[in-house]
Parts: sequence; structure tokens; C-alpha cells
Amino acid sequence: MRIAIGEGSCGIAAGAKKLEEALIKSAEGKNIGIGITGCVGMCFLEPIVDIYEDKKLLKRLVKVKESDAERIVSAAEKGDFSSVSDLEIKEEDSEFLELQKRIALKNCGKINPESIEDYIAEGGYESLKKVLGIPPEKVIDEIKLSGLAGRGGAGFPTWLKWDLARKNKSENGRKYLICNADEGDPGAFMDRAIIESDPHSLIEGMLIAAYAIGAYEAFVYVRAEYPLAVKHLEKAIEQAKKSGFIGENIFGADFSCDIKIKTGAGAFVCGEETALIASLEGERGMPKLKPPFPAESGYKGAPSNINNVETFANVPRIIKMGGKAFSEIGTENSKGTKVFALTGKVKRSGLVEVPMGTTLREVIYKIGGGIKGEKKFKAVQLGGPSGGCIPENLLDTPIDYKELSKTGAIMGSGGMVVMDESACMVGMAKFFLDFTAEESCGKCVHCRIGTKRMQEILTAITEGKGKPEDIETLEELCDAVKEGALCGLGQTAPNPVLTTLRYFRNEYEEHVFEHRCAAKECSAMLSYVISAEKCRGCTLCAKKCPVSAISGEVKKTHIIDKNLCIRCGACSKVCPFGAVSIE
Amino acid sequence: MLTDSDRVKKARKIALELIMSDHEGDCAGPCSLNCPAHTDVQGYLKQIADGNYRAAVEIIKEKIPLPASIGRICPHPCESNCRRRFVEEPLSIVYLKAFAADKDLSSENPFKPEVLPETGKKVAVIGGGPAGIAAAYRLRLSGHSVTVFDSMPEMGGMLRYGIPEYRLPKAILEKEISAAKSLEIVFKNSVRIGKDIPFDEIRKKHDAVLLAIGAWKSRKIGCPGEELAGVFGGIDFLREVNSGNIPEIGKKVAVIGGGNTAMDASRAAIRCGAEEVCVIYRRTREEAPAEDIEIAEAIEEGVSFRFLRDPAEIIGENGKVKAIKLRVMEQGKSDSSGRKTSVPVEGKFEIIEADSVISAIGQQSNLFGFEGFELTKSGNVITDTLNGTTNLEGVFAAGDVSNKGASIAIDAIAEGNAAAKAIDAYLLGMPLDFAKPVYSKRKVSEKDFSGKEKIPRAKMTFKPAEERKTNFDEVINGFSEEEARAEAKRCLECGCHDYKDCRLIRYANENRINTGKFSGVKHNSFTERKLLSIERDMGKCMLCGLCVRICEEKIGKGLLGFSGRGFRTAIKPEFLKSEDISGCAGCLECAKICPTGALKIIK
Repeated sequence: MRIAIGEGSCGIAAGAKKLEEALIKSAEGKNIGIGITGCVGMCFLEPIVDIYEDKKLLKRLVKVKESDAERIVSAAEKGDFSSVSDLEIKEEDSEFLELQKRIALKNCGKINPESIEDYIAEGGYESLKKVLGIPPEKVIDEIKLSGLAGRGGAGFPTWLKWDLARKNKSENGRKYLICNADEGDPGAFMDRAIIESDPHSLIEGMLIAAYAIGAYEAFVYVRAEYPLAVKHLEKAIEQAKKSGFIGENIFGADFSCDIKIKTGAGAFVCGEETALIASLEGERGMPKLKPPFPAESGYKGAPSNINNVETFANVPRIIKMGGKAFSEIGTENSKGTKVFALTGKVKRSGLVEVPMGTTLREVIYKIGGGIKGEKKFKAVQLGGPSGGCIPENLLDTPIDYKELSKTGAIMGSGGMVVMDESACMVGMAKFFLDFTAEESCGKCVHCRIGTKRMQEILTAITEGKGKPEDIETLEELCDAVKEGALCGLGQTAPNPVLTTLRYFRNEYEEHVFEHRCAAKECSAMLSYVISAEKCRGCTLCAKKCPVSAISGEVKKTHIIDKNLCIRCGACSKVCPFGAVSIE
Repeated sequence: MLTDSDRVKKARKIALELIMSDHEGDCAGPCSLNCPAHTDVQGYLKQIADGNYRAAVEIIKEKIPLPASIGRICPHPCESNCRRRFVEEPLSIVYLKAFAADKDLSSENPFKPEVLPETGKKVAVIGGGPAGIAAAYRLRLSGHSVTVFDSMPEMGGMLRYGIPEYRLPKAILEKEISAAKSLEIVFKNSVRIGKDIPFDEIRKKHDAVLLAIGAWKSRKIGCPGEELAGVFGGIDFLREVNSGNIPEIGKKVAVIGGGNTAMDASRAAIRCGAEEVCVIYRRTREEAPAEDIEIAEAIEEGVSFRFLRDPAEIIGENGKVKAIKLRVMEQGKSDSSGRKTSVPVEGKFEIIEADSVISAIGQQSNLFGFEGFELTKSGNVITDTLNGTTNLEGVFAAGDVSNKGASIAIDAIAEGNAAAKAIDAYLLGMPLDFAKPVYSKRKVSEKDFSGKEKIPRAKMTFKPAEERKTNFDEVINGFSEEEARAEAKRCLECGCHDYKDCRLIRYANENRINTGKFSGVKHNSFTERKLLSIERDMGKCMLCGLCVRICEEKIGKGLLGFSGRGFRTAIKPEFLKSEDISGCAGCLECAKICPTGALKIIK
């Protein structure tokens, strides 16, 4: 009997470390192995404990507390789980995983990420061995056959990038392979989960790619904010080196390769490939004009290939199952699966990997279980700050590069934020624009000043100070920034504004012309009122008010001075009679 | 690669509009921007401060061909807007101009501009006043052959016939006109176009015509008795006086109007021997358009004022003026411009005795003989404000005859300059679609100057009232060289040192950007000196990064770099460590390559 605790960052945040200690203590002297695994992707159920008999998952216990350790161990010892049935995952929650098709996430939450043996036991490094026996061109052909496209967001055919990097000659014979693990979108954690939970699949994918393009040196550019991912990756590289998968003459073939980790300081723009290369070279992360593309002149001016984590994680699996089998998953334009970080107002949030062609509705309602509480769905934001929002009537759009871009949103790297009717779409657009405006590298005028002006207009609108011409100016700025910015950050920065203007224009108009935020999110436009009927004159609100805006005598109706009120909502929270309402 | 497709042009224009929305600087000082002719005031003040009067005149004459004259009579919008007023008092700009021009005129080798090679094109300028002379001067410098026709016996227009000798000695005006004449401009006096030569003939015989005939008709009062002997138009009266014919005005003179012409007429009347001169104005002193100093000097010379009075009737005896009946007025509501109106107090009148009445309530153009023009409601020639074109092909208009009618001389000069630029383009077959120039302007207030040392303004001295009222001699004493140079040194140098070479403003103008389109937070203008011999103004920096590149790639030092993110991005000496900055050898390459005035070389 073996007990595995899910110890991704999310699990640890929910208390998995303490739980692990408690389980180890309880299992002392007993024939029960306590180990860890990565993230299975069910954030809403953490901490999660899996109980295995040999390789078979017997029970999955969820939302486990430290205090549950003793009874879990004793149940496992007896082989009778009736005493922990309250912890067992509910059937409906199991649907979260059952409805998914896991290729990139295949090992996540299943193996111990710190154990190369676990990875090898799952067939790890077999694909690497396989490709080293065939010419690099054939490897590229296989990837071409699979139809794999870049999972970082742009969806560029992976084989084509590899092919260009392979064919371009470098003066000193050097070429570089780079993994973009600078996952910067707010709300996205697909790549982190893969590195934390299955680092060897990334390493294997990179080694295959390095072989295909002819690179001897590879880098993983990973955010410094991902300490656990860095730790697991360091360990995995160490293990792979010891096992001879990284180094000289791998598998005895005429192929040597080294992989190094470079941690990034957290600038969002460093996820853009030219900026990433600049950062890797020790320069300020600032994008450059393309062409030349990195495949011609990348790191240190040599042909370089950059793919993101998820793309690499797919590679060993494609080699294993064959390009053709992979290409049979998905739609005509988009092959394979895509991993999403499903968050927001859904019942079940977490990591979701589905075949291309699955509709958004299926992801949100079947896997995600629909909207939390009694509220209605309003929109889903795809692709983070570079993406756009999709309204209810487009929920049957299939997950497909082409179909999604028709809506004005993008596939993106996998951020999927669900919003219910209580979300203000102007505020939402502002949130994402605030992010990109702050993260602009400052090089291009359109991006640096254009997004600032957009931000100022959106701020004015959400504060009830919007002018009638603002919407038009905003649209003009959106077009200008899209057209005029040099890199992907700037070119896509207006997307959240553009899509909200497209689908929720009425909300902008309401803010501008009626100075009203129907979602009651824009606090500057709200006014707090005390109901004379409900108020009992307890004086609590007046005492709590930080700006002394409430006056009234004991046992008499209190009044809020609207000019003094800062709309903090403290009165509403403290009132025991629910007398404070928002208008 | 396309660099001028519509898409590129649109992106470029918006980029420039965005840059300008975050560009905090003054292309030129408020003196220059508020001068209708945009004279480079800061430029010539610097030359005066350095004692280079000829160089100062050279700068002034780029815009004003008659600086000694304008320097005596201009109501100086430059001074009214001078930022030195936030410290203590504005600079005495107008008298400094006169000072420099006088110095140059009396020097051995007065400034004489270069005339470009002859173009063979012929231009007729009708009217030899400030607008006509300015245009003729500019057109001649461009190599065109120019003839100025004037109906009066001498050139100068209102400067000669409208402004009394005590304010502008005719000898000075004459010297300046001669200087213009020496450029081979043909001056033809005592020729009234439309009477002596048909207007059509002038048009036929010239490649372009400028109409600059001014506004020489006094506006009628519109009350009974106006036809009586002893009623004069203000302009007519001054013209007679300036021509040396003193009209019969008697001892008691009523002057109607509150503008500078009324002041000139009343002060001239004193000098013509009148004992009681009373200015009658329908509003109060606050609303009077005359310069304050003019009113003050008139009072000093014995002129009395009756405000809130409006002529109701001129009473005569034997066909001659005997008295004037005045309607008593009171202040009404403010009009759209914020100026208080005046309304009659019902049934309240007063009568004052008068031997003559001079009405200086406005001027009109006499377009007799100039048929075919489209006119404004008030009878002026409708003229394009940017290029001076009229509805007649090849005929341009400038000065008091155009659009808004009578105004100050510097306005006429500015319009003459603009028309000359347009005529030059017209003669060369170039497009005339001129745009209003774009400038970057800062908003400043008193507190921006709180640290400035207070230096009092140089006071111009005047001859005593008792002495000056008896004759037409010039009333100002002029500055000494010492006074003038010290005064010029008070200039705050508000305008950007790099304006003439600034590529940002050049492109902004070429692309005709709309400066007000995007507005928002700006980077504050502040200067610091961290690099050797270079002062940086981050309000002007547009983050083009040329300084970063030249320091890195050409000089190999790499002392500058981008820092921060988003709107806060700035170019700074890298990592802001003093030891890095000390690596600067003062090669000045960064300042030389800076396309705006963000980096300034400190000598």
C-alpha cells in the first residue's frame, strides 16, 4: 500500500506539507509507503491524497486535513476505507478528470516528480532513444505529421520552426534550443504544473527538439517566482545527467546536449521570444523587430528555436504514439489537446486538458461544473491580457485556433477565466489593460503611451467621469496600438478592450452616459443608502465609518453624507439589520 | 518596403500625437508664441544681452522689417505674456527691440539682408502700410520683383498717418522704409488703385497681387448732428495732423471712443492747442481697449475722461458744433467674452460744451474701385487666415482690409508675412495648404519660479508732461546701453534651445497632428545633471533610445540605459550608480544625436 500526497504549489498552499509530515508520523513502523506526487489539477479539492495498491489507484481522498492522517493510515493498513468515506472524492467531482484527455499532463499527479525512476517506469526517455536512431529530418517529419502547433499562444506550426532552425547555418556551428517557461499571464499555471509535476517530460521533449534542429545547448527560461518548478527541474536535470540522458553521446549516439536553467526576473514581456533572448543574453528584456526571426538569428546571433513548456511536453508523447495518431485528435485546423487553467466563477477550477474541438460550453459546464452559486454566466476570458472575452451566445465555439480568433479572443497559452453576471466588463477590460500597460517595456510609443491613455480613459469611465467621445477615442487607440506596436505584447494589449467593446458595448455606454455600473463593481459610481425602515439607530455604522460620513442619534435613523462617503462599504458590512443598501 | 502608405502615415501620425501628449516642454517662449508674427524674442534678447545689436536686428527682421518703429508703438502681447511676471515684472521687450534697431540704424554698417536671385515674377502690393511693407520685404528677399502702390504721398500707411509724431518720429520710420527701399523694392506713391490705375490692369500686369489698403474710413457715430462742421473722424484728424495740416478744432474738444486711436487723437488735440479735451467712452476704464499707459499718459497731459457716456446728439449752432448731448449709461451683464456691456439709464442725459467732436470709434476699409471681393458683414475682404488667399485668383489680402478689420500693426505685419509666404509658394507653383503650426507648450504658474532671484524691470523714462504736451517731439528717453543689456539678461529663456533643429516638432508639423487629441498624465519636466557637461530634461525625452545606442555602440561606454516599465520607463545612467556616471568623458555625442531638446550641452 502506498499513499501519495499531491504536492504541487497549490497542494502545498492548501497544507499538503504538514499533511505529509502527519502521514509519515502515523505510518511509522507500518508497511505503508508515504510519497509525493505533483498536481493532478483539481485545485478546488486540495490537499489531495491518493492511495495505491501496486500501481492501481484505490482511493482518492480530497480536502484532507492534517488531523485526518491517523485514520487514513489505519484505513489503508486495514484495507477498509469505510472510515474515510467522508473524504472520498464525490462522483460528480471525478467527472472533472474523466472528461479530459491527458497527453501533456499524462504523468501529472500520478508520478513522483522528483523520481526519474517513476518517469522511466511510465515509458520515459523511450521516445528520446527512438529518435536518436533515426535522422533528425525524420523527427521533424513526424512532428509535421502530428500537426503540433505552438502552445504558447500564437499557434505557429512547431515543425516549421524546427525545420527553419535546422536548415539555417551558423558561423561557428552553434545553434540553441530554448524553452519558454516564463508563464506570465495572470491566472495561468499550466506550465508551472507541468514542470512541478513532470519535469522529465519537458527535458525529454527538449532533447528531442535539440536533436532535430542540431543544437548542443539548451536553456529553460523560467520565472524566478516558480521556486518549486525550478527546484524540481534542477533535480530532474541532475538525474538525467547521471542517467546519461543529458551530456555527451546520449544513448551512444552522435548527439550531445546540455540543458541549463535561467531564471527570469518576472517581466511579462520576457515571454516574447526576442525579449526572452535579450534577457538570456543579459540585456534588458526588450523585444526586437522580426525578421530576423530567432530561427535565423537568435541567442548570440545563432539560429535558435523557442517553444513553450506544453509544446515540449507533447513531443515525447507524439513520438511514442506516432504523428498520425496525434493528428487524429482534434479538429482539421488544430491537432491534439490543449491544457487550460480554468479559474473564476466555476464550481470546479483547475487544470484541464481537452481535445481540440471541445466546445467552451463543455469545458465550463461539464468539466467545470457550471457557475458557482445561483448566478448566471456572463463571459469567459481566454488568453489572459492578450486575449479577449467570449459571451454566452458564443459558448459553443470549439477550441480551435481559427474558430477562437474569429471571436476576437485567442487560444492563448491557456488562461480561462470565467465571469458571472456580477462582473463589470469595463472593469475587467481595465484590469487586464492595467496589467499590460504596466508591463510594457516602454520601447514603442503606441504601447507605452497608447496603453497609458487607454488606461486613463478606462479609469475615467469606471469612475463615472467618462465623456461621450471616450468610447470612440478608445476604439481608435485600440486600433492604433494593435497596428503600431512592435511585439505581441503591444499588438494584443487592446484585445480585452476590443472584445468587451464588441460584446458588451452597452456596459460602456451605461457607464459613460448614465454614470451607472449595473454590476455594482465600480465603487465610484455607487451610493450607499441607509433604509429608514430597517435602521434601528444602533450607531455601529457611524462608529465604523472611517471618514465620519454617517450621522444620527441613538435609536434614530442614521444618514450617510454622500459627499463625504468614500464607498468603502464598511457600514454595509457592519450593519446587523441589513439596512445599508447600494444604489 | 513602403514608408508612405496610408497605413504607415496613419500610424505615424498617431504615434506623433501620442508622443506630443507626453512631451512637456516649450518649443518657444510665450513671448514669441503670443507675438502675432512669432518673432524670436528669446533669440534677439540673447544677442542684445551679449551686445550684438546687429545680430539682434537680423533675428528681428526675419519677422519685422520695421523694428525701430514697431519697437515704439507695439502694444506688446509679448510682454503681457512674459513669464518673468511670475517672478516680478515682464521684460521690457518692446523698448529693447527699439533700442537694438536704433543702434543698428545709427551704426556704420546697418544690417542688410540678402536677396535671393531674381525669379522674374512680378508682384503688386497695394498699400504701403505695415502689412504691405512686410509682404513686399519678404517677397523681395525671395527674389521677386515687387512694386508697392500707395495713394498717400509717403509710405508707411497708418504708422505714418495714424500715429502721432510724439510716439513715432517720422524720421525713424523714414530710415526704416529707406532700408527696405534699398533692396530694390519699387515704391509708387500718390497712386490710388481703382481710380488712377484700374485694379484689373494691376492684376493683368502682375503675377500676383496683395491687397493691403488698410482701413482708412472712420466709422460713423450714427447720431444726429454728425454732419456739422467741427465733427472729425479720428483717423482723418490724425492724418491731417501727421500731414502737417492742423485742423480748426477750437478750445474744447470731445473725443469719442476708448481705443488707442482715441488716445492718440486726444493727445494730438492737446498738442494742437486745445485747452479742454474730454474723452467720452460708453463703458468703464476697465473695458477700454486702449493701453493703460496710453490712458495714464493722456491724463498726465490733461485729458479728462467721461466713462459710461454715449453720444445721443451733436448740437450745433449756425452749422457748427456747439455742444454734445450724452446719454448716461450703466454697466449691464457680461457678454460671451466676459466683458461687461453698458446699457442706457433711461431718461438720463447731460450736455457738455464742445467746439469740435473727434469720433474714434472704429475704422472701415474703402474698397471703392476694388470690385469682385467676397466681403464679411462688416465690409472686410474675406481672406484665408492661413495663406491670405481671397476669392480672386492670384489676389491675396493682409492687414486691416482683411477679415477682422482694423487691428494693431504687428498683426498687419504677421498677416503680410503669411501672405508673402503664400504668394511665394503660389508663384513657384507649390501647394498653399498651409496648416497652423503645432507647438509644445507647458502650463506654468508662479510657484515654478519661486526660486528665481528678483531683478526689477528697467524703467523707461518719459519727458515731463508739461514739456511734452506743447510739442510733437518723441516722449520716451530711451535706454542706455547698460540698461538695455542688463534688462535683456533678465530673460528666463523659456523656449527650447533645440527648437530649430528639433525633429519631433518638425515631424509633428509635417504630419499635421492634432495636439489636443490625446491628453493625460505627462512626465514632468525637470532637469538634472548627472553626465559631464550634459543637462537632461526628462519632460522632453521621448525614449527614442538614440543616446543609449550611441553611448553603447559608437562610444562603447554604455552608460545609459532604459529603466522601469510601462509609462514609467525612463532613460537613466544605468543602475544610477555614481561610479558609472563618472565614466562619462563628456564626448557630448548623446546630446548631439538627441532629436529633441532633452539633452542640452552645458558650456
